[in-house]
Amino acid sequence: MSSERQLKPSGSPSLSADRGTEADDHDTTDARAVIRFDDVSVTYRGGVQALRNVDLRVDDGEFVVVVGLSGAGKSTLLRALNGLVPATSGSITIDGTEVVGAGAAELRVIRSQIGMIFQTFNLVHRTSVLNNVLMGRLSAVPAWRSTLGLWPSAEREAALQALERVGIVEKAYVRASNLSGGQQQRVGIARALAQEPAVMLADEPVAALDPVTSRQVMGDLLRINREMGITTLVNLHFLDLAREFGRRLVGLRDGEVVFDGDISDVTDDTFQEIYGRAITDDDLLTVDAEPAG
Amino acid sequence: MNVPPVGATTSRPSRPRRGLRLWAVAGALTAYTLFAGRKVGFDVSSFWSVWSNPLWGKFWPIPWDWVLDRHNVLDPLVETLQIAVISTLIGCTLALPLAFAMSPLTSPNRVTLVVSRSVMNVVRAVPDLFWAKLLVTAVGVGAFAGSWALSVFSLGVMVKLFSETIDGADPRPLEAARAAGGRHAPVVRTGVLPTVLPEYVAYGLYVFELNIRASVVLGLVGAGGIGRVVESQRQYFRFDRVLGVLVLVFVVVFVIEQVSVAIRRRLV
Repeated sequence: MSSERQLKPSGSPSLSADRGTEADDHDTTDARAVIRFDDVSVTYRGGVQALRNVDLRVDDGEFVVVVGLSGAGKSTLLRALNGLVPATSGSITIDGTEVVGAGAAELRVIRSQIGMIFQTFNLVHRTSVLNNVLMGRLSAVPAWRSTLGLWPSAEREAALQALERVGIVEKAYVRASNLSGGQQQRVGIARALAQEPAVMLADEPVAALDPVTSRQVMGDLLRINREMGITTLVNLHFLDLAREFGRRLVGLRDGEVVFDGDISDVTDDTFQEIYGRAITDDDLLTVDAEPAG
Repeated sequence: MNVPPVGATTSRPSRPRRGLRLWAVAGALTAYTLFAGRKVGFDVSSFWSVWSNPLWGKFWPIPWDWVLDRHNVLDPLVETLQIAVISTLIGCTLALPLAFAMSPLTSPNRVTLVVSRSVMNVVRAVPDLFWAKLLVTAVGVGAFAGSWALSVFSLGVMVKLFSETIDGADPRPLEAARAAGGRHAPVVRTGVLPTVLPEYVAYGLYVFELNIRASVVLGLVGAGGIGRVVESQRQYFRFDRVLGVLVLVFVVVFVIEQVSVAIRRRLV
């Protein structure tokens, strides 16, 4: 079960503290880094500091799992990356393009290269699956066309292909509200895929799903990452899922990166350090008689 | 770690006492209602004296020959329906983009939000009858003035109802559309419109119902339609004819409302 995990060489695992050397480790591979966070902080109106001086490099094609308690800043991390949440300070670049302080037009270009998958799927329930997936093509067609709903046939084709990738194309003309949770999340993935993104962000993609469906959806994400080489960041709070699917693990606590390393170096102690407390059954998707790992 | 054990006793909260305030408010409302009634000389017994008014005899019998004659009633009634149709269409069409501009969820920016809200508040503050009077003065007596007056009225009602529906729409698909890198208009169109479209159509039908009734009233001030007939016959004290017209109007309004309600129930 753990043999695959050794595949990816990665920065040496380090528990918090020494961020300086960690950055140095990654500097050698900087040419391949698609995503760079440099000293990024996010403070929400009202004074809550969601991210504190985050430094992070993600290489092209990596599959990174981000763990941390709710409120640790996982969602903020992803949303800062595509500008849904503006960073208060620091620099975030995607493929060399600066996100922090980008104008509306620049931001649209950046976002078009980043697919996003949501915990609650965020589909429009009262319309067809195909129309939902077509939302992923918004940046590819003139505004008047999409506003009038006059999608070119090439775009419909792209949307159908995205649905085929997640194996749900037969539901193309079904109302989104008539799908099960797992099917809805697949439509969410197809919508993100329709963007033909360079980066995929998944914010707690399986938190609203049952264990079996959760594994299928995580499997879909990993397969897409492998087959299409899309750099993927997944927020998870189930530790066994993180172990099962993660290659590289990033741990957040109180808005700080406290762990960044290969999943094979992760022990129960690592999780306790990230969570700042003992690990309980609530932190696992499936609770077996035997302890996980 | 000082976590209290499950089931540890904490003191129960005392039951909140709202009784006294409730009675005070009810008492104040009752007192003011009585005061207001006395002030305007409201007298229940006057209802009974109404029935002894000899005018009632003039309502009967209904002269059906006159009422069912095309030129007397049916043509103006059709005109009323036409006013209602055209003004519903104009009002609801203008209301669609305006309502999106007026909801904080979908407004492109703060300036648009504040300006559109202020303008619509002013438009709504002017009563429909006043709009009709104003437009009759401006463009002359007839159905044209009535159509414009009712268009403005429809716009006001529609924008209020529909923008509140948009306020309550699920913001999460919007976030998804925004994350896909869309421009504002397509993001709103794809992320919110499908969610609120059934309500839009339902409110449109409701506004149509309102318009049919309102266009009867507007005729009274010279804005065309069946109201003009009611008004002129009333001036001649031909209350039998007035009653006939009202019966006809009642039938038409009733039928349209039933159809509209049936459609609306299926929509939402």
